[in-house]
Amino acid sequence: MEPSFIFGQFVGGLTAAMTLFLIASGLSLIFGVLRVLNFAHGSFYMIGAYLAWQIVQWIGPGGEGFWLAVLGAAVGVAVLGGVIERLLLRHLYRREELYQLLFTYALVLVIADMAKLVWGTQQFGVSRPPSLAGSFQVFDTTVPHYNLFLVLLGPAIALGFWYFLNRTRTGRMIRAAALDREMLGTLGANVDRLYTGMFMLGSFLAGLGGALVTPIKSIIPGMDVAIIVEAFIVVVIGGLGSFWGTFFGAIIYGQVLSFGILIFPRFSSFAVFALMAAVLILRPWGLFGRPISR
Amino acid sequence: MRVRRLLGAACAFAGVLPFAAAAQDIKVGFPMILSGPGALSGEPALRGAEMLVEEVNAAGGVLNGRKLRLIARDTKGAADEAVRVAREMILKDEVNFLVGTFTSAEGPAVSPIAKENQIVFIAPVTKTDQLTAPDKLHPYVFRTASTTTIEGRSAAELAAKLPNVKRVATMTQDYAYGQDTAKAFLDHLKKLRPDIEVVDQQWPKLGEADYTPFINAQMAKKPDAVFSSLWGGHFVTFAKQAKPLGYFDAIKNNFIGAGEAGAIETAKAMGSDYPAGIWANSYDISNWESGPQSHKDYIARLRKFTKDENPSSWPITGYVAMQALVAGIKKANSIDSDKVAKALLDITFDAPTGQITLRGKDHNANRGQFWGLMVMDPKYPFAVMAEANYLEPTKFMD
Repeated sequence: MEPSFIFGQFVGGLTAAMTLFLIASGLSLIFGVLRVLNFAHGSFYMIGAYLAWQIVQWIGPGGEGFWLAVLGAAVGVAVLGGVIERLLLRHLYRREELYQLLFTYALVLVIADMAKLVWGTQQFGVSRPPSLAGSFQVFDTTVPHYNLFLVLLGPAIALGFWYFLNRTRTGRMIRAAALDREMLGTLGANVDRLYTGMFMLGSFLAGLGGALVTPIKSIIPGMDVAIIVEAFIVVVIGGLGSFWGTFFGAIIYGQVLSFGILIFPRFSSFAVFALMAAVLILRPWGLFGRPISR
Repeated sequence: MRVRRLLGAACAFAGVLPFAAAAQDIKVGFPMILSGPGALSGEPALRGAEMLVEEVNAAGGVLNGRKLRLIARDTKGAADEAVRVAREMILKDEVNFLVGTFTSAEGPAVSPIAKENQIVFIAPVTKTDQLTAPDKLHPYVFRTASTTTIEGRSAAELAAKLPNVKRVATMTQDYAYGQDTAKAFLDHLKKLRPDIEVVDQQWPKLGEADYTPFINAQMAKKPDAVFSSLWGGHFVTFAKQAKPLGYFDAIKNNFIGAGEAGAIETAKAMGSDYPAGIWANSYDISNWESGPQSHKDYIARLRKFTKDENPSSWPITGYVAMQALVAGIKKANSIDSDKVAKALLDITFDAPTGQITLRGKDHNANRGQFWGLMVMDPKYPFAVMAEANYLEPTKFMD
């Protein structure tokens, strides 16, 4: 086996991992603080992709307007998330988790049909921005600039969040809210606003992920359900609610998938599911998570 | 006494009247993917069927003025759901015929329902050979789609003619359609060019989101031509990831994309990202300059019907399947499925692309596809098929 090939697989796996991390981190954050397992997270990702396409159509495809579209899509999804949290999800916090799960699942169906109503069933595509359209050679392997950008964006966002959660006042409040919501409320913090903000932030990440994958994937109905399964695998491996767990969970997922096809060429997803099953049996709280105690 | 009889007759007549009016319509059940990723092909296929129904009804219907009525239901792309809606349409809506289903899982699942209820069932899209394999064939199932054998062999004919090709690889999905097309392609290619070596076969799963590992693994084997049957959005995702990795350059664009990789929907979705220079197929093209007048007229009507200047390539599947049914009803001069099924054997009718025959021996149509080189044409903002060739498939069918 040639080293260039191994390097290519490694970079490929890393690209997949970092896009998945963007999406799974939002899912994990929302669960970590709000204790809501948001099935509709994949739907937010899909809406992010559709919005990015829509904005690109408005400002004219093929230019650097792509970045504006990405930002616009992520903000748009964050607003959508905020509205959903304020008007709907808020009423379910004190209910059993099963109801929350059913509610977010209902959202998946509603959003999928709304997207179909607005954008139809056609497939769409967005081009890579001209600034990142090229590629370069490392160890005889072609690495597209856009893929490199995605690979670097992942750790940047992870570090940013680490700083935000650990070194800022809002971050400390968020961590406090995750531990004891009532106590934080009694101490005078506006927990409601914190929750809305957190949900919007998680939705923002989903929208950002959806917008950023448009140059490497096709935008089609059904992309919502496909991604949520992968995101769940990542957070289960890494540990639900654990930020770094999600980061390393995504990397493990990407690499296992990438190199898995060398060992089981026709069972590429087998290795990933086997890993998830093993994690669930041996460490149900994930490789980097902590057992949940209430 | 006479009055009573007259009254009785009148009552009986009145009682029959609404039924008689309802029976005027010939009901055709149309189970089709209308949600999820497959809907992007299923919806336009339904539009094609609707267009034919409108045309036939506007011309006075069939069998002395009986109108066709299409009853469409969403199969969600799942075989069990397709079976459920097919049953429901037969029992509740009392449809006279079934035309529809999409995937190679749905078609073979609905076929036994047609057999059990003795209702003619015409599959417009399902390509798997298993639908009409000798052990599965029954009097009521017909296919106006192409088949995996036709598609794989047509691609092999193309591959055999590519210059300087010695090492061939395949990139096909790991389910019935992908496996059947890959097998048909390789079996036929080995006959045409025994000197060609098969160096690699990749089997991404249906719905794979990240093809990069498969692309890298294939490039490492250094093939100089590749056969693929990735379809619809799957091809778009694959090509978007493969192009920046230098995949198409490495094989000098010797890429043969079956599975309608040359469909206008795919080209539109990709714009300038389309890997121009590859070979691909499509059910229909809107710019077939050397084609017959019937096709030009059809495209003109489709433009009007769908209000799309560059209409989808899928309506023709639903259109032709409905044409076959109408031809069968007219020939049988009845809507009795037994009579129509007999009439459909070896029936010939004029499709937009030319004459089509439903072969009596295996109930398959000589339904070919367009093959051509995909190029960027300044007249369009997306890739189009240059010198598109409609491959007449009769010679590939046995």
